[in-house]
Parts: sequence; structure tokens; C-alpha cells
Amino acid sequence: MTTSNGLPIVVIACKVFQGLLEELMPEGMAEQITFLDYGLHSVPDKLNWTVQDAIDSIENPSLVMLAYGMCGNGLKDIKSGQHTLLIPRTDDCIAILLGSYKKYIAEFYATPGSYYLTKGWLESGSNPLVEYEELIEKYGEKSATWIMDQQYQNYERLVFVAHNAQDLEKYRPQAQEVAEYCKRWDFRYEEIRGSDIYIRRLIEVAMALDKKDDEFVVVPPGGKTTLDMFLR
Amino acid sequence: MSDIYERLATGILEGEAEKITKLVNRGLKKGLSAKELLDNGLIVGMDEVGVRFKRGDMFVPEVLMSADSMAAGMTILRPILIESGAEMLGKIVMGTVKGDLHDIGKNLVSMMCEGAGFEIVNLGFNVDPETFIEAIKEHQPAIVGMSAMLTTTMRAMGHTIKALEEAGLRDQVKVMVGGAPVDKEFSDAIGSDGYGSNAPSGAELAKQLVSAA
Repeated sequence: MTTSNGLPIVVIACKVFQGLLEELMPEGMAEQITFLDYGLHSVPDKLNWTVQDAIDSIENPSLVMLAYGMCGNGLKDIKSGQHTLLIPRTDDCIAILLGSYKKYIAEFYATPGSYYLTKGWLESGSNPLVEYEELIEKYGEKSATWIMDQQYQNYERLVFVAHNAQDLEKYRPQAQEVAEYCKRWDFRYEEIRGSDIYIRRLIEVAMALDKKDDEFVVVPPGGKTTLDMFLR
Repeated sequence: MSDIYERLATGILEGEAEKITKLVNRGLKKGLSAKELLDNGLIVGMDEVGVRFKRGDMFVPEVLMSADSMAAGMTILRPILIESGAEMLGKIVMGTVKGDLHDIGKNLVSMMCEGAGFEIVNLGFNVDPETFIEAIKEHQPAIVGMSAMLTTTMRAMGHTIKALEEAGLRDQVKVMVGGAPVDKEFSDAIGSDGYGSNAPSGAELAKQLVSAA
């Protein structure tokens, strides 16, 4: 399948979206799909090189659908080269998983100190409890506790974002286990139903670029992403 | 003598607080000045921490351990620096902006600035523009330092600068900004006086800002 202007579609996505994309993308939509590692955003420069390499290795001029946000500036200065890039216009994956930038901002300013858990993040072992266990192995319990306190003591809330009842049931025990550990900083635990609207729209726009609105950034061939394109 | 500086720098890189305490005390006993130990040892180590963190060769836990050993060194050196009448460069009001709770970087910059001779008024995190304004009125700092870790919250730095303008305070302070998503382009766009890419360069910037004033 190609876009409305005849370009083949190539998808480069963070692994956190793998489940949603595999479920929602029409069969045969993409020529090629690459899921990149979860943790890349913790070193934004590394995320940047990895995404750029993935784009540069696409042989023919394509519409590259990037399932990413700005991700701590990891997506800044990404060059389109011979391709056209399509990216959700958002700070990070949370807005995409909640369904809109507006919803994200509402949640964000209601409780700035929120730590989000999702199916993807739980599967990848990217959560405070696993982090603590890894730190104990490396530094011993005393230092591990100190390091964790330094990083998380200012947060107030642990939010599990689930996209459907099955995920909620299946991953709830794991989320609650993390919540139990996070009680040491008086986190409260909440569950929010995620929305696939943003991802659906991304897929829709990838197949028909003229459906793009200001929820998306499009970079034509020879261009690059800038922070300005994302800020709103 | 160069040996002790090297060992200090390595101690910082490896995050060995106890070793730093011993080495600093030994250096002082041997007659080295607090400033020499700081500039040629501790800060050299922190510079390297900044480089390695940016490159992805060092992660937050290691940086925290390094910061902790830097703090161990500063605990001994700070009173000596003050007593020796080392040049005091003025006050910095420092805070992580509204909506943002990440304070590790901001605290680290504060410590480096303290080492450089500034007095720090640390406003903490999730600091709204009004609190910055009140603190400027109360403490009359030379510099206001703002930090943000998220692209979502970095906009608040621009809002705070606007609030300073509206309060008629912008001309009496220099503003410096920093944090993972911040770069020079953004710093210029919001009308800040400078940006530091890591903690040591934040302290360097603060020195430049007061010498240019």
C-alpha cells in the first residue's frame, strides 16, 4: 500500500506502540516496520542517532511514519533526506497513549508528579521496582535506596494507562506491585483508560497526507525537525 | 602533587564519597589550598562526568554518586573557601520551573555554582513565576537560574522570563537556563542570557554572566 501521493509507507516506532500498531494498522499498509528499543529516550542523543540511522537506511523515497514524540529532544534535528516524515506533534508517548495532547496536558498539570505505566513499559521492565532491583545488584541495598529516593521522591502518583479491559486485568497485579513499592514516597495509585484515537489518526494521515491537521508534523524531503514544529 | 588532583578527579568519576573526604583532608594537610583542590581535582572530575553523561557512557545513578562525592568534598571545602575570603561572586536564585519535579540537575548546578563562589538561594522544584519574582525582590540576586527536564515544562521558562519583564525585574538580573531538552536555540528564543549544557558549564556560564555585567 502507498500513500495518496504514491509513496510507499515505512513505519519506525518505539516498541511501546508495538501492540497498538500491530492491532490497528491495516494489513499490507507498510512496506517495512521497524520497532526500536524502549529505553532509548533516556539518552536523547542515542535515540536521535538510532532513528536517523533507521531513516537513512530506507532505500527508496518513502513516507516515514514515526511513532514518536519529541521525546526529550531525541527527535530534534532529524533529517528527512529523500523521504517525507510524519510525526505526532507531541512531547512524548504519554499524549499518544492517552489519545490527545489536550488530555495529556490536563493530566500533566492536574498532577505534575505523575509516573506513567503502560503495558509496553511493564513488559520492558521499565519501572521503579525493576530499576530498584537492578540497582541493588549493582550497588547494594543502601546505595540503591538512596539513588531511588533521589530520583522519585518528588513524584506523587503512579498511573497505569490501559487500553482495554483485558490489558487492565492482565497487567493490574504487576502495576499494583510497583504501586506497593512506590508507597515509600507516598505515591497514590490510579488507573486511566488509554485511547487509541491518536494512533488511529496517525495511521489515517500516513495513508492520506491531506488529512493532516495541526496534531501532526510533516517534514518534506530535504528538511529536518525543529523544536518549534512541536511546541504549541 | 598532580597525583592527588588526578585521584580526586577519578574519585568523583567513580562516585567514591569516602575516598574524596580522605583525599581532600590529605590535600589540605599537605598545604594545598581549598581552591586548588576544587578547581584542579573535583571540578575536573565533574567536567568528565558531564561529558560521559551526555555521550550515554554514564547514567543517572552514577551521576548521582558522583554528585554525592562532590558534595562530600564541598562539605569540607565550603567553610574554608568562605573563611579564606575567596571572592564571592553574588547570589543566584535557582529553581526547577512550574510543572517540573526534576531537581537532581538543578541541585548539581547549584553545588557547582557554590564551588565557583556564588551564594545559592534554592527555591526547589515546581516553582511558579510569582515565587521567582518574590525571591528576586527579597534576595536581589545577580542571576536567576531555571531548570526543566521535559519539553512539556521547558515552555514555563519562557513564561517566567515574561513574568519577570512584566514585574519590571528583567533588567536587574541575568537569566540562565538548563536541563536535558534545553539548547542554545531555545535559550535565545525565550530571551535568556545563556544556557549551560551540563552542571560544570552552568557554573562557567554563571561566572561569565557576572563578569560581563
